Amino acid sequence: MPKVSIDGVEVIVPMESTILDAAQKAGIWIPTLCYNPAVTSTANCRLCLVELRRNGRSTLVTSCNYPVRSDIVVSVSSERAQKARRGVMELLLARAPESNELKELAKKMGIDGTPYPTVTEAQRNCILCGLCTRVCEEVIGCSAIGFAGRGTDRFVTTAFRLASEDCIACGACAVVCPVGTIQIRIHEDTGEAEISPFKSRAKLLVCEKCGKRMVTEPVAFQVNDKVKIDWEEFRQRARLCPECRRKRTAESVAIVALKKD
Amino acid sequence: MKEGLVKEIVDCYNGDQGMLIPMMQDLQAEYGYLPPEELRILSRALDIPLMRIYSVSTFYASFRHAPKGQHEITLCMGTVCYLKGSKQISDTICEEYNIEPGSTTSDRLFTLNAVNCVGACAVAPVMIVDGKYYGNLTPESALEIIHGLDFGSEEEDTEKTKKSMKEVSNRRSNRE
Amino acid sequence: MNSTGTGEAILSPHLISSPAELEALSEKLRKQKDPSTKTVRVCIGPGCAAKGSLKIYDLFTTAAEESPENMKIDSKGVGCHGLCERGPIVIVEHGDVPGEIFYQQVEEPDVAEIFRETVLSGRIVERLLYEDSTTGKKIKSSKEIPFYKTQERIALAQNGLIDPTSINDYIATGGYSALAKALTTMNPEDIIEEVVKSGLRGRGGGGFPTGRKWRSCRDAKGSQKYVICNGDEGDPGAFMDRAVMEGNPHSIIEGMVIGAYAIGSSQGFIYVRNEYPLSVKRLGVAIEQAHKLGFLGKNIMGNSFSFDIRINRGGGAFVCGESTALMASLEGRVGEPRAKYVHTVEHGLHDQPTNLNNVETWATISSIINKGGEWFSSIGTEDSKGTKVFCLVGKIKNTGLVEIPMGMTLRQIIYDIGGGVKNDKAFKAVQTGGPSGGCIPAQFLDTPVGFDELTKLGSMMGSGGMIVIDEDTCVVNFAKYYINFLRQESCGKCTPCREGIPQMLYILERITHGEGEEGDLEKLETLAQLLADASLCALGKTAANPVLSTIKYFQDEYEAHIIEKRCPAKECRGLFSYEIVPDACTGCGICLKNCPVDAISGEKKEPHLIDQDICTKCGTCFEKCPFGAIVKV
Repeated sequence: MPKVSIDGVEVIVPMESTILDAAQKAGIWIPTLCYNPAVTSTANCRLCLVELRRNGRSTLVTSCNYPVRSDIVVSVSSERAQKARRGVMELLLARAPESNELKELAKKMGIDGTPYPTVTEAQRNCILCGLCTRVCEEVIGCSAIGFAGRGTDRFVTTAFRLASEDCIACGACAVVCPVGTIQIRIHEDTGEAEISPFKSRAKLLVCEKCGKRMVTEPVAFQVNDKVKIDWEEFRQRARLCPECRRKRTAESVAIVALKKD
Repeated sequence: MKEGLVKEIVDCYNGDQGMLIPMMQDLQAEYGYLPPEELRILSRALDIPLMRIYSVSTFYASFRHAPKGQHEITLCMGTVCYLKGSKQISDTICEEYNIEPGSTTSDRLFTLNAVNCVGACAVAPVMIVDGKYYGNLTPESALEIIHGLDFGSEEEDTEKTKKSMKEVSNRRSNRE
Repeated sequence: MNSTGTGEAILSPHLISSPAELEALSEKLRKQKDPSTKTVRVCIGPGCAAKGSLKIYDLFTTAAEESPENMKIDSKGVGCHGLCERGPIVIVEHGDVPGEIFYQQVEEPDVAEIFRETVLSGRIVERLLYEDSTTGKKIKSSKEIPFYKTQERIALAQNGLIDPTSINDYIATGGYSALAKALTTMNPEDIIEEVVKSGLRGRGGGGFPTGRKWRSCRDAKGSQKYVICNGDEGDPGAFMDRAVMEGNPHSIIEGMVIGAYAIGSSQGFIYVRNEYPLSVKRLGVAIEQAHKLGFLGKNIMGNSFSFDIRINRGGGAFVCGESTALMASLEGRVGEPRAKYVHTVEHGLHDQPTNLNNVETWATISSIINKGGEWFSSIGTEDSKGTKVFCLVGKIKNTGLVEIPMGMTLRQIIYDIGGGVKNDKAFKAVQTGGPSGGCIPAQFLDTPVGFDELTKLGSMMGSGGMIVIDEDTCVVNFAKYYINFLRQESCGKCTPCREGIPQMLYILERITHGEGEEGDLEKLETLAQLLADASLCALGKTAANPVLSTIKYFQDEYEAHIIEKRCPAKECRGLFSYEIVPDACTGCGICLKNCPVDAISGEKKEPHLIDQDICTKCGTCFEKCPFGAIVKV
C-alpha cells in the first residue's frame, strides 16, 4: 500500500486511491467543486489543485483524480498551489456572481471577492462542473441532460433544449449542484415537480394516508423497471410515504405481538 | 425524409458507436444539415442517449442544425488571411447580406462559414465558394464574386443532389 | 491522374509478398518509362491550386493526350514543391535538356507556349524562369534557386516529383522498400531500436522521442493496440501536413505499417481535420491502392502481420489536435482532453495502448528504416535530430513550404530562403508554434531552430508554422487575434481556459480600443500564469504565450496603447490619425464627400484638410482616396 506525504503528514492509503482520498485521511482539507464520490472524477473545475514533487520536478495536479504513488511529495499549502486555487475561484466568482454557496466556499478558502468582471453572458450561475450531467448519466441512468456547445458558450441543457422525454424529474441533479443553480420546484396547483431550468415536469405520487408528496411517477416507473415486479403490486406497496409505511408496519407488528401474548 | 437512411448508415459502420461522428457526417452529407428526427432515429439505432448525440452535434463546428444555402462560402480567418484583411472582408459580406458567420441568408442563397486556416496562405486572403478557391481578395472583389452567384435551376438542384447521393453511395460501397 | 483523382490502374495484378517482388516491380516501372519521354509536372498543391493551377494541369493533359502517341508526352499533377509565392509552378523534364526546367508564375495563356517550345522542342521560355533579385540572372533549375539551395528534403523528398494518386510512381522511386525491409529482415525490437537511434522527436509540436513512445506502447498490456496518425493540423498559417497528405500520402501509410508492426497493432486510424477534404480523398485512394498490392490487409509481405487503416474526419474542432481529445472524438464523443496522469500509450483509445504520431513523423519513418537511424541523427543538432518542415508565411517574400536541417538559424530561414521581408519593410518578429507559441524579435534571429532553443525564448517550434510580421503589424492586435482564436476553440471543460481566456480577451479588447488601464499588463501576466499552472491540457497551458511573448519583447508598444492611447503600428482604429499630404492631394473632393462626420474641408483642386478634433478616425477617406494622398500618422 503506497505511503504518501501531504504537507508533511504521512499517510498510508489503499492502491488506486487519489491524493484527495489521502488528504481526507490525513485530515487536510482541499476545496472541491466538481468532485463527488458518487460519480467519476473529471477534474475540470481545477479547484483541488495541489503541488506535487516527483523526480526532482514540481507540477500542479488535481488531487481528485491523481493516483497516489510512493514517490511523490504533495504540498497543499504551498504558495504556488494556493495562488492557483485562488485564481480558479476568482474566475468562478466572476462567472457565477449570484451563487451564495460559491461565495461561502470562497470565504472558507479565505477569498472574499474577485478582481475579474463578469465578461460572458453565460447560463445563469452555472460553473459547468458537470456534476448534474454525470449524476444523470452514471447514477440515474437517464442521460437527460448534458453539455451543448463548446467553450465559453457551453451550457447544460436537454436534447434540443426541449423538455426531455428521458428526464424522470428525480431531482438528483438539484441535489448535487454545488452552487444552487438547479432547483426543484413544487407546483401545488398541478401536483407536479419541476426541475428548473430544464423545463422538466412530472406528476408527484401522493401518500394515501397523510397526503404528503413522494416521488414523481416517472421515478416510480424507473424503480419498478429495476425491481421487475408487477406495476399494480408495486403501486399497492407505494401507496404510502415511508413514514406512514413504517407506522403501519409497526402497528401490524404490534398486533402480531399482541396476538401472541 | 428518406426512409431507412439512418439504418443504412448505421449498418454501413456495423453499428459501431465509436463511428458516431462519421455517421453524422454522412447524414449531413445527405440532407445538408442534421434533422432532429433523424438524430432521434440514430439515437435509438445505436442505443446512445439522444442528449449525447445532441452534445456531439453542437460541439463540432461543421455540424448544422438548419438547412444550408444553395451555395457554400467559406472564409478563411487564419492568421495570415487575418493579417491581410479577412476580417474586413467578413464584415463587408455580413453587412451587405445581413448575416453572421455560420448562418444562411434569408433567401437561402448561400451559407457563410468562417474557418481557421484552409492551408492556402500563399494567396491570402482566401475565400472558397462551392469548393473553388479565390485568393488575393479585397472586400470589393469578394462581394463581386458573391454578387455573381445565382439560385440555379430546379434541374441543376436535382442534378447536384443526385451527384452528392451518388458520391455517398460510392463512399459506402468503397468501405465494404 | 484524372481530375477526379481516382488513381490509375495498378500494374501488378497480385499482391506483393516479398522484397524481391517489390524490387522487380520497381525496376519494371522504372524501365517502363522511356528516357525520351517528356514530362510536365504541374503543381496542384494548395497554394498553386488556389492560383488556378488545376486548369493549367488540365490544359497540359489535354495537349499531351492530343499529341501523337510516339511523341511520348506525360502530364502529371504533383504535390506542393514549396515555393508557393511563385506559383503556379510547372516543371518540364526533356531528354535533350540536362536537369529540369523550373517555370514559375505560369498562367493559362503560357501553357501553349511552354508546350510548343519546351515540351516539344526542348527550348526554354526565358521569361517564365525564376529571376534572382540580386543578380538579375535567370535560373533554370530549382536546385540553384536560393529558396531551395539550402533545404534538405526528407519528409518532402517526393513532393513535387511524383503523382500523389499513383502508387506506381511511389514504388518506382523506392516506395514501400522500407516496409519490405522492415517486415522481412527486421524484428520489432530492431525497428524500434533504429527509431530510437535516429533521435526522431514528434513533429507535431510535442517533441516527444518517437522511439521511446513506440517502445512504451509495445511494452504496454492490452488486447488490441492502436496506431493513430494525427492529421488534425489546426495551427492557422500551417499547411505542412496538408502538403504531405496531399502530395505523398503513401509515405504516411508506409510509416504507419512499419510502426504498427513494431508495436504490435492491427488497426490504425488517420484523423484528418474536416477542413481538408482533398487530403481525405487522396489518403483514401492511397489506402485502396495499398490494399490492392498487399501493403495493407492480411499477411503483409508474406508475414503473419495484418494491419488496416481507417480514415476519420474531424468535425471541426482545433482542440481535437490534442491527442486525448482526438481519441475521444474517435470514440464518438465530444473532443474534450483528459488528464494525462495515465499515459495514452498504456490507456488510450478505448482504454487500450495507443501510439499517436503526427503526419510528418510518420512520413519520416521510411527514410530512417532505409538509411538507418545513425544517418538521421547525423543531421541536425544534439537535441533536435533530422530535418523539419516549416511553413513560411506572412510578410515574407518567398511564402511557402521549406524543409531544413535542425540547427539552421531563423535568419537563414527567413532571409536566405525566405528572401527577407516583403516590400523590404522592417522585420518585427516571427511567430512560431501557432497559438501555443510566441513572437521572436529581431535580436534573436541568429537562434538555431530546434525543439528547445525556441522554448527558451518564450515561444516553441511547434508543428512548424512561421509567420513573419513587419513594422506595420500591431503586436497587441496580433496577440488579440490568437486569444480570440482560442476563445472559439476552447473545449470549455476546465475553468482556467474557459474563463481565463475571455478575461484576457476582454483586457486586450479594451487596450486595442484605447481603453487600456494601468495594471492591465500585470492582470494579463497573472492570468497567463494561472492558465499555465491550472489548465487541464496544452491548449490552455500555452494559450497565453502569444500575449506573454509580445509583452516581454514589445512592452513599449503595449504601453503606447495603454498610456498614450496610441498604436505605433497604426493598425488599431482610433489609436492613430489620418492626415492629408498637401503635395499629393489633388483636391478631387472624394474624401470630403465620403466623410461621415464632415471633418474634411477644402476647395476644389486645392489640398484638403482633416480637422483632427472632429475626425473619428474611421478610415473611410484613407480607403477612398484614389491618389494615396492620405497617410496614417
